[in-house]
Amino acid sequence: MEEDNKITDETPKKQVIETEVPLGPVHSAAIEPYRVRLFVEDEIVKDAEITVGVNHRGVERIMEGLPVEKANSLTEKICGICSNSHIWNSVMVAEKALGTEVPERAQYIRVIMEELERLHSHMLYLAHGNEVLGHETFSMRLFYIRETVMELLRMIGGNRVQYGVPIIGGIRPRAELNQMKLQKITEGMNYIEEKITNFAERFISDSMIMSRITGVGILTKEDAIRLSATGPTLRATGVEVDLRTDMKEYDPFEFDVITQDDGDVKSQLLVRVLEILEAIKIIRQAVKHLPEGPITNRSWEMQDTPITKSYIEVPRGKLYHSYYLDEGRVRNVIVRTPSITNIGAMEHACIGNHITDAQLAVVQCDPCFTCTDRAIQIIQL
Amino acid sequence: MTVVDSLIALIAVIGTLIVAFVVSVWLPGIERKFVHARIQQRIGPPISSPGLMAPIKFFFKEIINPNSPMPGLYNSLPIIGIIITILLLIIVMPQLYFLAAFASVVALVGLLKVEEILYMFMGSLSKSVLSIRMPFPDLVKGAKHRDVPRSFVEELSSMRAFRLIAFGSFPIYIAIFVPVAMAGSIFLNDIVAYQQLHGPVLFTLGGILGAIVFFVGFMILLNEYPFVILKTKADVIEGPLLEYASKYRAYVYISRGLLIFVLSSIFATLFLGLPPNLLSWTILLNIVVALAFTIIMAIVSAFSPIFTYKQFYPVVAGVSILGVLAIIASFL
Repeated sequence: MEEDNKITDETPKKQVIETEVPLGPVHSAAIEPYRVRLFVEDEIVKDAEITVGVNHRGVERIMEGLPVEKANSLTEKICGICSNSHIWNSVMVAEKALGTEVPERAQYIRVIMEELERLHSHMLYLAHGNEVLGHETFSMRLFYIRETVMELLRMIGGNRVQYGVPIIGGIRPRAELNQMKLQKITEGMNYIEEKITNFAERFISDSMIMSRITGVGILTKEDAIRLSATGPTLRATGVEVDLRTDMKEYDPFEFDVITQDDGDVKSQLLVRVLEILEAIKIIRQAVKHLPEGPITNRSWEMQDTPITKSYIEVPRGKLYHSYYLDEGRVRNVIVRTPSITNIGAMEHACIGNHITDAQLAVVQCDPCFTCTDRAIQIIQL
Repeated sequence: MTVVDSLIALIAVIGTLIVAFVVSVWLPGIERKFVHARIQQRIGPPISSPGLMAPIKFFFKEIINPNSPMPGLYNSLPIIGIIITILLLIIVMPQLYFLAAFASVVALVGLLKVEEILYMFMGSLSKSVLSIRMPFPDLVKGAKHRDVPRSFVEELSSMRAFRLIAFGSFPIYIAIFVPVAMAGSIFLNDIVAYQQLHGPVLFTLGGILGAIVFFVGFMILLNEYPFVILKTKADVIEGPLLEYASKYRAYVYISRGLLIFVLSSIFATLFLGLPPNLLSWTILLNIVVALAFTIIMAIVSAFSPIFTYKQFYPVVAGVSILGVLAIIASFL
């Protein structure tokens, strides 16, 4: 036995951690309940561990056996920020399974809703990022600009969150866009483009902010791929991947896939700023070329289907929904939010930074732990 | 000094303290309502709320004992802070210049150091519930590291306070010695008398540089953005002040407002030669300087992110070098 316990040169050395600083699940810099264990030496983070699960609701289990329309509505409750993304993807699963054709006008309006949601999500990200940086003025101004998007979403969907626009075969009649609404969207886009451009110029020229965000929370391209990062978090490392380029709903629109090379907080912020401008470009095209015609296809029939999957590009990355239909009810529901695959990237980005930058390194990956928590499947070991 | 003179001096000292207190309760409101809220395009709190109504409200709140190994000492630290701030103000009042050794720059520096050390004690004596040891599954299974000694967020603050004592306070102390170098004396009455003869120190090259350095030191001492690493929201939240509740939190608020006024009065005394004196118009100028400092500080803080050490060290080093240049210029 003594021989077994003897330390030899071949014995791997265990990393000795000086101190652990636990932050959360309740913390003023975290707008959601999650826990970060930072393993530090002289205030430099040597390792990090993020734990979610505090806000688990088991949405997938609740959806089990519900009629498909009700289940689709429930997916919207998974996330308060990207509620449209969830219901759209869930509806797309049903449409794919049932072979339902969606009218072109409805597709355009769905895209407008999704891009408006991307706008408000990215602006929320920028505002929260500035808040964690300690720059309250920029944070407040971004929230102020974001109000325009929220009002546009309310105008179309009737609510500031959980708009309930997509239904199987199209969109709800209340989300139909008339000339007045289209005019308001155009005016809103002009306002946001001007304000965001001004913000970006001020932001980039502020040497104090640049000093805080340049070279902090670096995520290399290799690490981002290895850790399965997705969405803008991945694109900020230089990987040109955007599911929208493969989605037929986005075929009529021209837009660029935004990438940055450095993978630090600066790149993450810049990717979102530039994606805001791309989203405005898409919305303008959709408004300009909005086709005439019906907004709903009611000619689908319920039937049993095999397991059907759908991936879409949401503000935080790749969103996955799958289920199968059995007598009109959903079974074997699986929802995977982008944040769950970004957690590894967040942990990695913390390492090597000052402890004050650790929250920034987490926030730079735009986590939405609450939607991850609500939907994540807890496996009994 | 006759009995009447002593009585008048006593009234002047008490009167000046009352004026300082009355003005200081409005300064946080001016900072947040008139500057921060306007810059950030929001309504902001009522002007009386942060400095006056909030402390009054806290006085009537239920006392919650802090999670601290020595709660009595921890709770008494803000009161000690107020006492030190009052002593600092008394030092610069002209009525007490006859206490030569007491009314000197050395006494100022010593008391300011004690004020700084209080934060270190506060941090080390506070263990907030936000970072307390709690049973959590990550300690049981799937954890990356187990049985690692845990640090409370306030302990981090305490260590940062120690570092600030070591290097963060250089600017203000260097700036304080610019008028000393010009007047050739460490005694406040000599510094004031020098400026009455030769004009304010502020209107010289060394004085201008010294004033800039003093202002940066002023912001560091007040833990104001961007030098707020002691209580940054991203990690240590409120740091050493987190566990203060009810009237003890009120003392913290009062202490901060008073410190803004007192540091402004120190500046007026050292750089303008106008000490706070109720019996003279100089008290008005002290109020104007306090208002100016509050507004400039609020503007700077509204447009600044929090500095980490990476930004803090170069700024302090650069400003300290500027302070040394100011001292050299004052000899010329």
